[in-house]
Amino acid sequence: MTDFVQNCIDGLMFGSGYALLALGFTLVFGVMKRLNLSFGPSIMLGAYAGTWVYLNFSDSAWLVALATVIATVAVGIYVERLCFRAIRRDSTIASMVSSFAIWMQLEEVAMHLLPERTYPFPAFFTTTTIEFGPFYARSEHITMLLLTLLLLVLLHVFLFRTRPGLALRLVSDNPLASAYMGINNSSILFLAFALVSVLGGLAGFLILSADTQVTPFFGLWATFKGLIAMMLGGMGSLPGAILGGLLLGVVEANAFWYGGAVIRDLSAYLLLFVMLIVRPGGLIGQKIVAKQRAADERV
Amino acid sequence: MLKVENIVTRYGAIEALKGMSLEAQHGEVTCLLGPNGAGKTTTMFTIAGILSSHSGSITLDGIDLTHQSAPAIVRKGIALVPENRLVFPEMSVADNLAAGAYCRPRSEKTAIDQDLAGVFDRFPPLKNRREQLSGTLSGGEQQMLAIGRALMARPKILMMDEPSLGLAPLIVDEIFKIIQQLNEEGVTILLVEQNARMALKVAHKLYLLEQGTVTFEGSPTEMQQDELIQRAYLGAGAD
Amino acid sequence: MLNDYVLTIISNIGMISLIALSAYLLLVTGQISFGQQAFFGISAYAGAIATTLWGWPFWLALIFGSGLAGLAAGLIGLLTLRISGMYFSIATLAFAEMIRLSLFKLTYQIEIDGELVGPNGAEGFGEIRWIFDHDISVMEYTLLIYGVLMLVLVGMVLLERSRLGMIFRMLGSDALLTRAQGLNPVRYKITAAVIAGFIAGLGGTLYAHSFTYIEPQIFNVMLGVHSLAYGLIGGLGTVLGPLIGVAIDIGFLESIRIFQGYRMIVFGGLVAVMLIFMPRGILDEARVYWIKAVARRWFNA
Repeated sequence: MTDFVQNCIDGLMFGSGYALLALGFTLVFGVMKRLNLSFGPSIMLGAYAGTWVYLNFSDSAWLVALATVIATVAVGIYVERLCFRAIRRDSTIASMVSSFAIWMQLEEVAMHLLPERTYPFPAFFTTTTIEFGPFYARSEHITMLLLTLLLLVLLHVFLFRTRPGLALRLVSDNPLASAYMGINNSSILFLAFALVSVLGGLAGFLILSADTQVTPFFGLWATFKGLIAMMLGGMGSLPGAILGGLLLGVVEANAFWYGGAVIRDLSAYLLLFVMLIVRPGGLIGQKIVAKQRAADERV
Repeated sequence: MLKVENIVTRYGAIEALKGMSLEAQHGEVTCLLGPNGAGKTTTMFTIAGILSSHSGSITLDGIDLTHQSAPAIVRKGIALVPENRLVFPEMSVADNLAAGAYCRPRSEKTAIDQDLAGVFDRFPPLKNRREQLSGTLSGGEQQMLAIGRALMARPKILMMDEPSLGLAPLIVDEIFKIIQQLNEEGVTILLVEQNARMALKVAHKLYLLEQGTVTFEGSPTEMQQDELIQRAYLGAGAD
Repeated sequence: MLNDYVLTIISNIGMISLIALSAYLLLVTGQISFGQQAFFGISAYAGAIATTLWGWPFWLALIFGSGLAGLAAGLIGLLTLRISGMYFSIATLAFAEMIRLSLFKLTYQIEIDGELVGPNGAEGFGEIRWIFDHDISVMEYTLLIYGVLMLVLVGMVLLERSRLGMIFRMLGSDALLTRAQGLNPVRYKITAAVIAGFIAGLGGTLYAHSFTYIEPQIFNVMLGVHSLAYGLIGGLGTVLGPLIGVAIDIGFLESIRIFQGYRMIVFGGLVAVMLIFMPRGILDEARVYWIKAVARRWFNA
């Protein structure tokens, strides 16, 4: 029993990282009703920039974080221009496939830029183990959880208390009506991508510095984890992204403990598959699916 | 005043507006009537900057609006209450109203707050439902919200696209009373309607749009005296 | 003239064309599947097990592998009936990954001639010796691949002209309309899924015997996305479309040395650009129609 609870604790903390990634997917989906599958690779390239700074310039974790975020935003803009802005409004699947294609492109770019198998990433936090009762937690994971919570609060403030945040929510809710209000949908899309890239860069930084290394598999990994978490929670829902991330973390932690790495990954996909078939709206529910169907018909 | 001259708007190869003109005077209710597919909503969209006209011009008090973007046109003083209201369903009444004021500069914060209070005074049902999700409001309440939202832009001209659509007759009466009241308070209104009877009651000047061109313009009395229109749109026994 | 290197490329084009056609068929019915590699993989393993471990004749193994793949595809089609659009696509992705990961756990080995043969999880499945045991040359196997491909192409062209094919295309452009015509989309969606799975399966068994070594990693998402991309680039208007896409990637990009190591960068960028200007590919429905009209006029003149 202790094992299970310990796994859940680990899972929740790791799940907070997944939640951030899922937020990135869900924000973009909310605004554009499309999936950006290059999200993971763009974070990876951001992380590569960070590691480059780490290796060639400075030990400072702040600088590395900054470099990661800036590079992620730069790649995010490239993806936005090519895969989303340029493609017609109603071709949602085309954008998805296009972002997948750019994913392939970015992976190869990453391989060329940094050909080694793995690169060091600065540990942002000191590693100690904190014990409470029969359970323990690593300090870097706790820090990651706390920082994730902080980011969530900041995101909430942005979305609900600022004018650009209002515009983002308006466009997500009804792009047509937003146009009538004089909101420039293109600018909001750009803003969403920038915001999501910043979020992604930070998420990547937090995850990788807890891991202290970055590998070329990170892009694929981040995309899948974020995607699964988002869909588990409910595509397009912000609270869903958080719940989905946490759920994924807990399921994976337990699956790994009892079955190993392959079982862990298998469980994640199985959970996703079953969720999609039984309850495509995710934890949040069917309302999302119905809303999307209505939106599709309107188009 | 709003002057629309010889607008041609196309959807691909099809000409939806084949050179239509109208004038909306300040302080008046101008109404655009016509059957389905005549191009009424296209006209609204072209004026609002959502569609771009192929030729012709649109000016407001001498300022050229012809190829301006939608945000610019909202800023220049034209607000649209869209067909079917188009509220933001998952957002609160308060957020919907805030959306209407989106294009106004931050320096106008006090004025915006005043306008918000004004909208709540004008539409008490909205005041009670400030935080309610607008998708859960009734049809009439949503129409009030849509009008209030447009008013939040403090427009020079309020354009309304078929406000009676999909509403019960009692509610339609209420809405038109509101339109009349707004106009008495000095709001200039450009109205698009299929419901000719209600339109005749509130309008000062009417235009009939058929297949992309204006086939009649005149006062309500003139329209009622025209026999053809009587038969086609007002029914033989119109009042 | 046709040395082994060139033949290998040609046979690869042939086999990958099959999975491309599989994704294309589903695309035409309006379903975007990122998971055809699952059926490619299922058949690869099943067919290889049949010949290597059970000693079956090749043609039987081919049918067995492809049949199993088709069956699995039908099952997935059944499960995903109620979901569409992006949900469907992600579900196919999830399923394919589940298959790939399951293959990591698949260990089934038999002792043959003193050696352990058979799939062994992450270590893969080697010694698929059928072409060696039967003295088949590279040339002969390439001809076999293209024989199968030709049969499939003929089948698909006939399908295109048949009522079923027309219904498939109608499903793709307007599912609502199809239902309004009194046709139940369920039967047709599943039929399309089974046929597509079977075709992917043909490619899979052929692939296993050509490369003589398979491992789970091969049947990953990238393969699935490539299969989709081929149709999207070459064109969704005709069965030649996906073939053109495959030829561009494997034939052109893979073989030209300049692109060595940059193939994904070029191919990925190409797909993205194509999707902007030609969202249904080079030979999309409109262009095919135009070509046929021109050809008709030319022949009548």
